[in-house]
Amino acid sequence: MSPPETEAERSNSSVLWVAKPLATAARQFVKSLWRPSTIVYPFERLEDPKFRTEVRVAAGKPIGVGAVWDNYRGVHALNIDTCISCNLCAFSCPDLCIDMVTVPGGDPKHPKKCPQIDYGKCSYCGFCSDACPEGCLTMTTRYELSVTKRAEMVYAPERLHEVYKTKLPMSPIRVERPQNEDSILLDAPLCIGCNACARDCPTKCITMLDIPKPAAKPGEKIPKRIWKEPVVNDSDCVRCGTCISVCPKECLFWGTHR
Amino acid sequence: MWINMGPQHPMTHGLWNLRVRIDGELILDVDPEMGYLHRGIEKISEDRHYNEIITLMDRTCYVAGMAWETLFVLGAEQALHVTPPERAEWIRVLSEEIQRLGSHIMWYAAFVQDLGLMSPFLYGMRDRDLLLDLLQSYTGARMTYEYNRVGGVRNDLPSGFTDRARKVCDWLEDRFREYDALCLGSAIFHKRCDGLGVLKAADCVRLGVTGPMLRSAGVKRDLRKDRPYSAYDRVDFDVAVAEGGDVTGRYLVRMEEMRQSVRIVRQALDWLDRNPGPCLAENLPRWLGAPYAPVGREGYLLRRNYPKGLGFSAIEEPHGEALAYVVNEGVEHPYRVKLKSPIFVNLSAAKEYLVGYRVADIPPIMGSVDICVGEVDR
Repeated sequence: MSPPETEAERSNSSVLWVAKPLATAARQFVKSLWRPSTIVYPFERLEDPKFRTEVRVAAGKPIGVGAVWDNYRGVHALNIDTCISCNLCAFSCPDLCIDMVTVPGGDPKHPKKCPQIDYGKCSYCGFCSDACPEGCLTMTTRYELSVTKRAEMVYAPERLHEVYKTKLPMSPIRVERPQNEDSILLDAPLCIGCNACARDCPTKCITMLDIPKPAAKPGEKIPKRIWKEPVVNDSDCVRCGTCISVCPKECLFWGTHR
Repeated sequence: MWINMGPQHPMTHGLWNLRVRIDGELILDVDPEMGYLHRGIEKISEDRHYNEIITLMDRTCYVAGMAWETLFVLGAEQALHVTPPERAEWIRVLSEEIQRLGSHIMWYAAFVQDLGLMSPFLYGMRDRDLLLDLLQSYTGARMTYEYNRVGGVRNDLPSGFTDRARKVCDWLEDRFREYDALCLGSAIFHKRCDGLGVLKAADCVRLGVTGPMLRSAGVKRDLRKDRPYSAYDRVDFDVAVAEGGDVTGRYLVRMEEMRQSVRIVRQALDWLDRNPGPCLAENLPRWLGAPYAPVGREGYLLRRNYPKGLGFSAIEEPHGEALAYVVNEGVEHPYRVKLKSPIFVNLSAAKEYLVGYRVADIPPIMGSVDICVGEVDR
């Protein structure tokens, strides 16, 4: 439809030109009586299976935009049993809304720590679930978060575990681990054999191996240390970097084996 | 007399202030004031890991988050010497065009509401929801996607996505006819918009105005054609151009752009159907790899020297030409990120296209600029 060229032409036909849009709107109105574009929330929900599989209705024609909830990033679900307390979720959080808090059931000396999420800060970016090496922290389709007190926005690990138990559909995306990952390397002369890395390793992939104590040369002092050195099992390592951060001598670092 | 239209005014579509000097109904002078929504995104970016900055870019422009993500990621890839796989580039083209459709329909809804038309507003919001559904079905969120990654995109398209997207394309083309019937078919619309807010081509070029405002003045300039990025050099489409540089011209340009976007979406879907493959680059540095996105803050010691680099990217965002400059100094966060917002320029030129018109003309004229203040103030 081309607009009329002159002012005169426009004013002559102005009745029709007002009536035409009205007719379009009226057509939409009648159609929407039969197929409303809205749903009756909260009695109906978009994540219901009937909307998942089939139809979003929009005035006149059904459109199959189902399954929009498959990758949805909502409230997290945490499987406490498989969590290895690697801290990667907390490290990867851009909002710093994840705290690692102690949960019962760990070794009393080195308590088990699981993520506690403050939904007042969370931006639902999904970096934490991408980073989780065990797949125990995922995001579900739950999105209703209204609370009356601010403190209720902080979800303790137990509460996240309850979300996990509801078996909501969870974000299925699992990002593959890159092939050429760096490994944990040791700057051997700095190591004092203190066992901190092996103690705190969440996957227990670090073993302390004995190394020979060097013979004392005349005029030279043997350094005081435990004659052990950490050896990392690369296939079990999840690259969380806990060992690097606990090392008192900063002798562990990222690198590639030559 | 100076009057303040804003910061709380239905015309502003966000938080900014238009100071207007009037004589009766006649506008003598205008003075746009921006900065109410400044969040310091550029500065915050300087101590964030590259992939974490993507969460900020979504919030730069809240109706076109995907475009800004792509903009930053393109710059960061250049700075970090990373090449994304071809499939990721096509997914970016697809996402950006869906985003452009969503942004333009959002503009349409807001613009017609400025004119006082309520029904097209509702139709626009309804139709945009289908596009948001499409985006949600593979990114996982409606507006803040966090989908692009340095070196590709987070995940591949889900099965059945391309069929659904094609259905939406078919349906949208019907809707565009309906939009035109409601607006171009209405004498009221023409009386309200024709010859209003004229910005001539020479003025556009002199002031640096870009995007649909520039093209509505008859200048054939589109970064997707003139400086192709991602896979735009392999896509067939026309640059929408109109004459006159007035409000109706901007409407026509955006409508035509939406039709061209549907065309690009169809081509991208066809390509993506034919060519499966990885969508995240292999051989990424460990600290850029997706599972460990942002390790490297909080006292981590990275005893490595990564190659330094500079990144510059320019994309045709729904509102105009957006530029990003990323300086990589060899650590895991950028030394500097600079963003150039097209709307900031388009708004700053307000004096040129508002003076001489009436106060009642301000809502349609400013509505036709397509303002997103999050992007103006960053």
